Amino acid sequence: MPLLQQLCQLLYDSRIGTLIRESDYAFSIIESVHVLGITLLIGTIALLDLRMLGLTLRHLSVTRIARAVLPLTWTGFVVMFVSGFLLFWAEAAKNYTNPAFRTKLVLLLLVGLNPLVFHTTIYRRVHEWELLTISPWRARVAAIASLTLWTGIIAAGRAIAYF
Amino acid sequence: MSLRLWFIALSHTALGQFMQNSKWGFAIVETFHLIALAVLGGCILLLDLRLLGFVLKDESAVALSRGLHRLFLGSLIVMVFSGIAMVSEEALKCFASPAFRWKMALLAVAVGFYFTVHRRALKSVAKGTATLQSRTAAAVSLILWLGVGVAGRAIGLI
Repeated sequence: MPLLQQLCQLLYDSRIGTLIRESDYAFSIIESVHVLGITLLIGTIALLDLRMLGLTLRHLSVTRIARAVLPLTWTGFVVMFVSGFLLFWAEAAKNYTNPAFRTKLVLLLLVGLNPLVFHTTIYRRVHEWELLTISPWRARVAAIASLTLWTGIIAAGRAIAYF
Repeated sequence: MSLRLWFIALSHTALGQFMQNSKWGFAIVETFHLIALAVLGGCILLLDLRLLGFVLKDESAVALSRGLHRLFLGSLIVMVFSGIAMVSEEALKCFASPAFRWKMALLAVAVGFYFTVHRRALKSVAKGTATLQSRTAAAVSLILWLGVGVAGRAIGLI
């Protein structure tokens, strides 16, 4: 058995993992928190992406919106990560072989790389274009990549229950 | 015609038949429901935090709501249509479900509130800082929409 799979089995068999899995309500409640966290994390990211594409809040500068939503985005990230990890804890051994779960992890990795590239390139000169109603093409590419990847993550996350 | 018959009729439409017979139909429609939830939630969150005076304090609240209005309506429409498709898969179960009834009632109140009290509160703080009235409206709005979400999640459980 590969090391990673052994680790998943260890989590699965642990007391907390078993507790979440076998409780009547724990999994559903954590899952609800995870779903509502979508609003905080993906909702705020989508607002910024749609602003860069010129589809909403054109009268506000990109940096103004970024500053307003950033604390919400990070709060959402913490909520999603903690609740997501608890869900994984309960199902780790099953998730390990789940194609939807694997897809979701790859997409999460890619969506993490996107802001790294974005912030080290076109966003460094954001003050030159923050007021444009439609951002430069490289920012638009980042926005479309972000929206596409997050859509894929929601789809893959939903599909985990189907395998 | 009684309400129950409308639900039965919905489950017999082409849409209902498709949803009941397809393996992935429900998951795909629910994905759209969740994506629209993210956008709708993002809009409401930003507006209510503005009313509470937490973000974008020196921006006009009215301009903010005008800027978000199309996005709000667009995502609400996606949610309603994907919601109808999901109901068509298990119409009678929904009809009998207390969670579903709560969700529909809360949704009606939340949408009604958005177009009346909420809108007035946005106008009242057009430029200024938050008032007791605007904070109350924001709190009620957040609780209502959260209630819609929680009741919605409960449909699958009870």
